[in-house]
Amino acid sequence: MTKARNLANLLNADGQIDNADIAGGVNFKNIIINGDHSIFQRGDTATGVTASIYSAPDRWKTSVVSTAVFTISKSTDVPSGQGFASSCKWDCTTANASPSATTYMTHEQRIEGQNVQFLEYGTSSAKSLTASFWVKSNKTGAYTVALYQADGSRHINSSYTITTADTWEKKIITFPGDTSGTINNDNGEGLRLWFHLGAGSNWSSGTHATTWSSYAQGDVLVDNQVNLADSTANEWYVTGVQLEAGSVASDFEFLPVDCNLQRCQRYFTKLYGTLYGTNYTSTTSFTGGILPVTMRVNPTASYDAIRTTSGLNSYFTRTHAQYLMTHSQGYVTGLTANAEL
Amino acid sequence: MINTKNINSVTLTYDTVLEPGKKHSYKVIFNTDKICFVPLDEANTDYQAILTWIAEGGVVIDNGGNE
Repeated sequence: MTKARNLANLLNADGQIDNADIAGGVNFKNIIINGDHSIFQRGDTATGVTASIYSAPDRWKTSVVSTAVFTISKSTDVPSGQGFASSCKWDCTTANASPSATTYMTHEQRIEGQNVQFLEYGTSSAKSLTASFWVKSNKTGAYTVALYQADGSRHINSSYTITTADTWEKKIITFPGDTSGTINNDNGEGLRLWFHLGAGSNWSSGTHATTWSSYAQGDVLVDNQVNLADSTANEWYVTGVQLEAGSVASDFEFLPVDCNLQRCQRYFTKLYGTLYGTNYTSTTSFTGGILPVTMRVNPTASYDAIRTTSGLNSYFTRTHAQYLMTHSQGYVTGLTANAEL
Repeated sequence: MINTKNINSVTLTYDTVLEPGKKHSYKVIFNTDKICFVPLDEANTDYQAILTWIAEGGVVIDNGGNE
Protein backbone atom coordinates (compact mmCIF):
# COMPACT_ATOMS: atom_id res chain seq x y z
CA MET A 1 0.00 0.00 0.00
CA THR A 2 1.35 3.42 -0.89
CA LYS A 3 1.84 6.31 1.51
CA ALA A 4 -0.88 8.17 -0.37
CA ARG A 5 -3.30 5.30 0.27
CA ASN A 6 -2.37 5.22 3.95
CA LEU A 7 -3.11 8.92 4.24
CA ALA A 8 -6.35 8.59 2.30
CA ASN A 9 -7.54 5.93 4.72
CA LEU A 10 -7.36 8.46 7.55
CA LEU A 11 -9.91 10.71 5.92
CA ASN A 12 -13.59 10.49 6.64
CA ALA A 13 -16.42 11.16 4.21
CA ASP A 14 -15.98 14.90 4.74
CA GLY A 15 -12.32 14.71 3.77
CA GLN A 16 -11.33 15.40 7.38
CA ILE A 17 -9.26 13.40 9.83
CA ASP A 18 -11.48 12.23 12.65
CA ASN A 19 -10.28 12.94 16.15
CA ALA A 20 -10.40 9.22 16.84
CA ASP A 21 -7.53 8.76 14.40
CA ILE A 22 -5.18 11.12 16.18
CA ALA A 23 -3.07 8.84 18.31
CA GLY A 24 -2.74 9.65 22.00
CA GLY A 25 -2.11 12.91 23.78
CA VAL A 26 -4.30 15.84 24.70
CA ASN A 27 -5.32 18.04 21.81
CA PHE A 28 -8.23 19.84 23.46
CA LYS A 29 -10.58 18.17 21.03
CA ASN A 30 -13.43 18.51 23.55
CA ILE A 31 -15.21 21.81 23.05
CA ILE A 32 -16.98 21.28 26.37
CA ILE A 33 -15.27 22.44 29.57
CA ASN A 34 -15.67 20.31 32.70
CA GLY A 35 -17.36 17.56 30.72
CA ASP A 36 -16.47 15.07 33.44
CA HIS A 37 -18.26 17.25 36.01
CA SER A 38 -15.27 17.17 38.34
CA ILE A 39 -15.00 20.91 39.13
CA PHE A 40 -17.57 22.39 41.54
CA GLN A 41 -16.13 25.70 42.78
CA ARG A 42 -19.53 26.94 43.98
CA GLY A 43 -19.91 23.92 46.26
CA ASP A 44 -20.69 20.26 45.71
CA THR A 45 -24.42 20.59 46.39
CA ALA A 46 -27.04 23.19 45.50
CA THR A 47 -30.40 22.63 47.16
CA GLY A 48 -33.68 24.27 46.30
CA VAL A 49 -32.79 25.06 42.69
CA THR A 50 -35.77 26.85 41.16
CA ALA A 51 -34.19 29.26 38.69
CA SER A 52 -31.95 29.51 35.67
CA ILE A 53 -28.58 29.74 37.37
CA TYR A 54 -25.09 28.32 37.62
CA SER A 55 -25.91 26.26 40.68
CA ALA A 56 -23.12 23.78 41.31
CA PRO A 57 -21.01 22.26 38.51
CA ASP A 58 -18.65 24.73 36.84
CA ARG A 59 -19.59 25.86 33.33
CA TRP A 60 -22.97 24.08 33.43
CA LYS A 61 -26.02 26.29 33.65
CA THR A 62 -28.87 24.48 35.35
CA SER A 63 -32.33 25.84 34.71
CA VAL A 64 -35.42 24.89 36.68
CA VAL A 65 -38.11 27.28 35.50
CA SER A 66 -41.00 25.45 37.06
CA THR A 67 -42.82 24.94 40.32
CA ALA A 68 -40.65 21.86 40.67
CA VAL A 69 -37.55 22.01 42.84
CA PHE A 70 -34.29 20.12 42.38
CA THR A 71 -31.10 19.45 44.28
CA ILE A 72 -28.11 19.46 41.96
CA SER A 73 -24.94 17.90 43.26
CA LYS A 74 -21.62 16.25 42.60
CA SER A 75 -21.95 12.48 42.75
CA THR A 76 -19.48 9.61 42.88
CA ASP A 77 -21.97 7.42 41.02
CA VAL A 78 -20.17 6.92 37.69
CA PRO A 79 -20.12 4.43 34.81
CA SER A 80 -17.92 1.52 35.75
CA GLY A 81 -14.53 1.11 34.12
CA GLN A 82 -14.57 4.37 32.18
CA GLY A 83 -12.17 6.39 34.33
CA PHE A 84 -14.66 8.94 35.61
CA ALA A 85 -14.53 9.98 39.27
CA SER A 86 -17.66 12.11 39.40
CA SER A 87 -20.95 12.91 37.76
CA CYS A 88 -23.65 15.52 38.17
CA LYS A 89 -26.89 14.42 39.81
CA TRP A 90 -30.28 16.08 39.38
CA ASP A 91 -32.62 15.02 42.21
CA CYS A 92 -36.26 16.11 42.17
CA THR A 93 -37.31 17.25 45.64
CA THR A 94 -40.62 18.92 44.76
CA ALA A 95 -42.58 17.45 41.87
CA ASN A 96 -44.57 19.14 39.12
CA ALA A 97 -46.42 16.44 37.19
CA SER A 98 -48.50 18.89 35.16
CA PRO A 99 -46.09 21.52 33.88
CA SER A 100 -47.48 24.81 32.61
CA ALA A 101 -46.74 25.85 29.02
CA THR A 102 -43.67 27.96 29.87
CA THR A 103 -42.00 25.45 32.17
CA TYR A 104 -38.56 24.05 31.34
CA MET A 105 -35.63 22.25 32.90
CA THR A 106 -32.26 22.20 31.16
CA HIS A 107 -28.62 21.32 31.74
CA GLU A 108 -26.60 23.38 29.31
CA GLN A 109 -23.16 24.67 28.46
CA ARG A 110 -22.61 27.94 26.60
CA ILE A 111 -19.42 28.06 24.55
CA GLU A 112 -17.51 31.19 23.54
CA GLY A 113 -17.75 32.05 19.87
CA GLN A 114 -14.01 32.50 19.51
CA ASN A 115 -13.47 28.91 20.64
CA VAL A 116 -15.52 27.44 17.80
CA GLN A 117 -14.38 29.45 14.79
CA PHE A 118 -12.62 26.34 13.50
CA LEU A 119 -16.02 24.78 12.87
CA GLU A 120 -16.43 27.24 9.97
CA TYR A 121 -20.14 27.65 10.53
CA GLY A 122 -21.84 29.78 7.94
CA THR A 123 -19.68 28.36 5.14
CA SER A 124 -19.88 25.34 2.90
CA SER A 125 -17.03 23.85 4.95
CA ALA A 126 -19.01 23.78 8.19
CA LYS A 127 -17.88 20.79 10.25
CA SER A 128 -20.06 18.15 11.82
CA LEU A 129 -20.08 17.87 15.58
CA THR A 130 -20.40 14.69 17.59
CA ALA A 131 -21.70 14.74 21.14
CA SER A 132 -21.02 11.78 23.41
CA PHE A 133 -22.02 11.43 27.04
CA TRP A 134 -23.00 8.99 29.78
CA VAL A 135 -26.43 9.24 31.39
CA LYS A 136 -28.41 7.34 33.99
CA SER A 137 -31.94 7.79 35.32
CA ASN A 138 -34.81 5.91 36.85
CA LYS A 139 -36.95 7.62 34.18
CA THR A 140 -36.67 5.67 30.96
CA GLY A 141 -37.82 7.20 27.70
CA ALA A 142 -36.95 9.93 25.23
CA TYR A 143 -34.89 13.01 26.06
CA THR A 144 -34.00 15.95 23.81
CA VAL A 145 -30.45 17.17 23.29
CA ALA A 146 -29.82 20.18 21.08
CA LEU A 147 -27.32 22.67 19.72
CA TYR A 148 -28.26 26.33 19.78
CA GLN A 149 -26.34 28.98 17.85
CA ALA A 150 -26.95 32.30 19.59
CA ASP A 151 -25.58 34.77 17.04
CA GLY A 152 -27.90 33.63 14.29
CA SER A 153 -30.63 32.34 16.63
CA ARG A 154 -30.55 28.91 15.01
CA HIS A 155 -30.89 25.39 16.38
CA ILE A 156 -30.78 21.72 15.65
CA ASN A 157 -32.31 19.09 17.88
CA SER A 158 -31.93 15.39 18.40
CA SER A 159 -32.85 12.86 21.05
CA TYR A 160 -31.64 9.85 22.94
CA THR A 161 -33.50 7.15 24.79
CA ILE A 162 -32.72 5.83 28.23
CA THR A 163 -33.70 2.22 27.78
CA THR A 164 -32.87 0.67 31.14
CA ALA A 165 -33.69 2.28 34.46
CA ASP A 166 -30.89 3.07 36.89
CA THR A 167 -28.18 1.92 34.49
CA TRP A 168 -25.40 4.00 32.95
CA GLU A 169 -25.72 4.23 29.17
CA LYS A 170 -23.41 5.94 26.67
CA LYS A 171 -25.11 8.04 24.03
CA ILE A 172 -23.60 9.36 20.80
CA ILE A 173 -25.24 11.94 18.56
CA THR A 174 -23.76 13.54 15.43
CA PHE A 175 -25.01 16.93 14.28
CA PRO A 176 -24.23 18.18 10.75
CA GLY A 177 -22.42 21.50 10.40
CA ASP A 178 -24.49 24.63 9.95
CA THR A 179 -23.65 26.11 6.55
CA SER A 180 -25.92 29.12 7.07
CA GLY A 181 -25.45 30.51 10.55
CA THR A 182 -22.21 32.37 11.20
CA ILE A 183 -20.77 32.34 14.71
CA ASN A 184 -19.24 35.69 15.68
CA ASN A 185 -15.54 35.65 16.55
CA ASP A 186 -15.94 37.18 19.99
CA ASN A 187 -16.21 36.37 23.69
CA GLY A 188 -19.99 36.07 23.61
CA GLU A 189 -22.01 32.89 23.39
CA GLY A 190 -21.31 31.12 20.12
CA LEU A 191 -22.76 27.68 20.64
CA ARG A 192 -24.82 25.93 23.30
CA LEU A 193 -25.11 22.22 24.09
CA TRP A 194 -28.52 21.84 25.60
CA PHE A 195 -29.88 18.83 27.53
CA HIS A 196 -33.63 19.05 28.05
CA LEU A 197 -35.12 17.30 31.06
CA GLY A 198 -38.74 18.28 30.59
CA ALA A 199 -40.76 21.28 29.50
CA GLY A 200 -44.25 22.63 28.93
CA SER A 201 -46.24 22.74 25.73
CA ASN A 202 -44.55 25.93 24.46
CA TRP A 203 -41.53 23.74 23.74
CA SER A 204 -43.37 21.07 21.76
CA SER A 205 -46.14 22.93 19.94
CA GLY A 206 -44.37 22.60 16.58
CA THR A 207 -42.28 19.89 14.96
CA HIS A 208 -39.06 18.62 16.50
CA ALA A 209 -36.45 20.32 14.25
CA THR A 210 -33.71 17.85 13.36
CA THR A 211 -31.98 20.01 10.77
CA TRP A 212 -30.41 23.44 11.28
CA SER A 213 -33.12 26.09 11.12
CA SER A 214 -34.14 29.40 12.64
CA TYR A 215 -34.83 28.94 16.31
CA ALA A 216 -38.43 28.24 17.20
CA GLN A 217 -39.17 27.27 20.78
CA GLY A 218 -42.05 25.04 19.73
CA ASP A 219 -39.75 22.95 17.55
CA VAL A 220 -37.33 21.88 20.27
CA LEU A 221 -38.70 18.84 22.09
CA VAL A 222 -38.88 15.31 20.81
CA ASP A 223 -42.30 13.67 20.99
CA ASN A 224 -42.97 12.12 24.38
CA GLN A 225 -40.08 13.97 26.03
CA VAL A 226 -39.65 12.70 29.60
CA ASN A 227 -40.75 15.03 32.40
CA LEU A 228 -38.06 14.57 35.02
CA ALA A 229 -40.12 16.59 37.47
CA ASP A 230 -43.15 14.30 37.63
CA SER A 231 -42.07 12.54 40.83
CA THR A 232 -39.76 13.19 43.75
CA ALA A 233 -38.35 9.71 43.10
CA ASN A 234 -36.72 10.99 39.91
CA GLU A 235 -32.99 11.38 39.39
CA TRP A 236 -30.84 12.08 36.33
CA TYR A 237 -27.07 11.68 36.22
CA VAL A 238 -24.65 12.84 33.55
CA THR A 239 -20.89 12.71 33.02
CA GLY A 240 -18.30 12.34 30.29
CA VAL A 241 -19.82 14.98 28.05
CA GLN A 242 -17.70 15.53 24.96
CA LEU A 243 -18.46 17.63 21.90
CA GLU A 244 -15.92 17.29 19.11
CA ALA A 245 -15.56 18.04 15.44
CA GLY A 246 -16.17 15.18 13.06
CA SER A 247 -18.61 12.33 12.88
CA VAL A 248 -16.89 9.92 15.26
CA ALA A 249 -17.04 9.88 19.05
CA SER A 250 -13.53 9.34 20.33
CA ASP A 251 -12.57 8.41 23.87
CA PHE A 252 -13.26 11.10 26.47
CA GLU A 253 -10.37 13.52 26.79
CA PHE A 254 -9.37 13.63 30.44
CA LEU A 255 -7.48 16.74 31.51
CA PRO A 256 -5.30 17.19 34.60
CA VAL A 257 -7.32 18.79 37.39
CA ASP A 258 -5.23 21.97 37.38
CA CYS A 259 -5.86 22.44 33.66
CA ASN A 260 -9.56 21.68 34.04
CA LEU A 261 -9.86 24.13 36.95
CA GLN A 262 -8.07 26.91 35.11
CA ARG A 263 -10.34 26.53 32.11
CA CYS A 264 -13.33 26.93 34.45
CA GLN A 265 -11.76 29.94 36.18
CA ARG A 266 -12.01 32.00 33.01
CA TYR A 267 -15.74 32.08 33.80
CA PHE A 268 -15.95 31.79 37.59
CA THR A 269 -13.33 32.12 40.31
CA LYS A 270 -13.54 31.78 44.05
CA LEU A 271 -10.63 32.89 46.20
CA TYR A 272 -10.81 30.77 49.33
CA GLY A 273 -9.97 32.15 52.77
CA THR A 274 -9.62 35.76 53.88
CA LEU A 275 -7.78 38.54 52.10
CA TYR A 276 -6.60 41.41 54.27
CA GLY A 277 -6.42 44.96 53.04
CA THR A 278 -4.07 47.87 52.88
CA ASN A 279 -4.86 51.48 53.70
CA TYR A 280 -5.90 53.79 50.93
CA THR A 281 -6.57 56.69 53.28
CA SER A 282 -6.53 56.79 57.07
CA THR A 283 -10.17 55.67 57.11
CA THR A 284 -10.44 53.48 54.00
CA SER A 285 -8.73 50.39 52.65
CA PHE A 286 -8.47 48.29 49.53
CA THR A 287 -8.76 44.52 49.85
CA GLY A 288 -8.42 41.96 47.09
CA GLY A 289 -6.10 39.93 44.95
CA ILE A 290 -4.91 38.85 41.55
CA LEU A 291 -7.26 36.50 39.73
CA PRO A 292 -5.69 33.17 38.74
CA VAL A 293 -6.85 33.38 35.12
CA THR A 294 -7.77 36.29 32.88
CA MET A 295 -11.54 36.21 32.87
CA ARG A 296 -13.85 36.32 29.87
CA VAL A 297 -15.18 39.81 30.70
CA ASN A 298 -15.10 42.20 33.64
CA PRO A 299 -16.67 39.97 36.28
CA THR A 300 -19.51 40.41 38.72
CA ALA A 301 -18.08 40.79 42.22
CA SER A 302 -19.35 39.02 45.31
CA TYR A 303 -18.12 37.56 48.60
CA ASP A 304 -19.07 35.41 51.57
CA ALA A 305 -18.15 37.94 54.27
CA ILE A 306 -16.60 41.39 54.45
CA ARG A 307 -15.33 43.74 57.16
CA THR A 308 -17.96 46.39 56.47
CA THR A 309 -20.38 47.40 53.75
CA SER A 310 -19.82 51.05 54.64
CA GLY A 311 -18.50 52.86 51.59
CA LEU A 312 -18.24 49.53 49.83
CA ASN A 313 -17.41 49.52 46.13
CA SER A 314 -15.74 47.03 43.82
CA TYR A 315 -12.79 47.53 41.50
CA PHE A 316 -12.70 44.32 39.49
CA THR A 317 -11.15 43.83 36.06
CA ARG A 318 -10.54 40.71 33.99
CA THR A 319 -7.26 40.19 35.88
CA HIS A 320 -7.69 41.44 39.43
CA ALA A 321 -10.30 41.96 42.13
CA GLN A 322 -10.38 44.68 44.75
CA TYR A 323 -12.91 46.08 47.19
CA LEU A 324 -12.77 49.57 48.65
CA MET A 325 -14.44 50.04 52.02
CA THR A 326 -14.62 52.60 54.79
CA HIS A 327 -12.45 50.89 57.35
CA SER A 328 -8.75 51.20 57.95
CA GLN A 329 -8.34 47.43 58.33
CA GLY A 330 -10.54 45.88 55.68
CA TYR A 331 -10.85 42.22 54.80
CA VAL A 332 -12.95 40.04 52.55
CA THR A 333 -13.63 36.31 52.77
CA GLY A 334 -14.64 34.01 49.93
CA LEU A 335 -14.25 36.59 47.17
CA THR A 336 -15.88 35.47 43.94
CA ALA A 337 -15.71 36.78 40.39
CA ASN A 338 -18.33 35.67 37.88
CA ALA A 339 -17.97 36.06 34.11
CA GLU A 340 -20.20 33.20 32.97
CA LEU A 341 -21.96 33.20 29.66
CA MET B 1 -25.20 34.54 37.36
CA ILE B 2 -27.55 36.58 39.48
CA ASN B 3 -31.17 35.58 39.98
CA THR B 4 -33.12 38.79 39.37
CA LYS B 5 -36.20 37.28 41.06
CA ASN B 6 -34.42 37.74 44.38
CA ILE B 7 -33.38 41.38 43.96
CA ASN B 8 -34.18 43.73 46.80
CA SER B 9 -32.55 46.86 45.37
CA VAL B 10 -30.15 48.02 42.69
CA THR B 11 -28.08 51.18 43.18
CA LEU B 12 -25.86 52.85 40.60
CA THR B 13 -22.42 53.40 42.11
CA TYR B 14 -19.88 56.01 41.13
CA ASP B 15 -16.11 55.82 41.10
CA THR B 16 -14.42 57.58 43.99
CA VAL B 17 -10.81 56.76 43.19
CA LEU B 18 -9.52 56.78 39.62
CA GLU B 19 -12.19 58.82 37.88
CA PRO B 20 -14.30 60.35 40.65
CA GLY B 21 -17.89 60.85 39.64
CA LYS B 22 -17.83 58.37 36.75
CA LYS B 23 -20.61 55.78 36.67
CA HIS B 24 -19.01 52.59 37.92
CA SER B 25 -21.26 49.59 38.59
CA TYR B 26 -24.62 48.36 39.84
CA LYS B 27 -24.65 47.44 43.52
CA VAL B 28 -27.24 44.69 43.82
CA ILE B 29 -28.69 43.79 47.23
CA PHE B 30 -30.67 40.55 47.31
CA ASN B 31 -33.50 39.53 49.61
CA THR B 32 -30.94 37.51 51.55
CA ASP B 33 -28.94 40.74 52.17
CA LYS B 34 -26.17 39.31 50.01
CA ILE B 35 -24.46 42.00 47.92
CA CYS B 36 -22.81 41.86 44.53
CA PHE B 37 -21.44 44.46 42.15
CA VAL B 38 -22.23 44.17 38.47
CA PRO B 39 -19.89 46.04 36.09
CA LEU B 40 -21.37 48.28 33.42
CA ASP B 41 -20.04 45.93 30.77
CA GLU B 42 -22.37 44.86 27.97
CA ALA B 43 -20.58 41.53 27.66
CA ASN B 44 -21.25 40.68 31.30
CA THR B 45 -24.37 38.48 31.42
CA ASP B 46 -25.37 39.81 34.84
CA TYR B 47 -25.36 43.32 33.38
CA GLN B 48 -27.57 42.01 30.58
CA ALA B 49 -29.89 40.52 33.22
CA ILE B 50 -30.07 43.86 35.06
CA LEU B 51 -31.00 45.61 31.80
CA THR B 52 -33.80 43.09 31.32
CA TRP B 53 -34.89 43.62 34.94
CA ILE B 54 -35.02 47.39 34.29
CA ALA B 55 -36.97 46.88 31.07
CA GLU B 56 -39.51 44.84 33.04
CA GLY B 57 -40.04 47.66 35.52
CA GLY B 58 -37.16 47.43 37.95
CA VAL B 59 -36.01 50.80 39.24
CA VAL B 60 -32.35 51.67 39.80
CA ILE B 61 -31.55 53.99 42.70
CA ASP B 62 -29.27 56.80 41.54
CA ASN B 63 -28.08 59.15 44.23
CA GLY B 64 -25.45 60.69 42.01
CA GLY B 65 -22.77 59.12 44.14
CA ASN B 66 -24.06 60.61 47.39
CA GLU B 67 -24.80 57.50 49.44
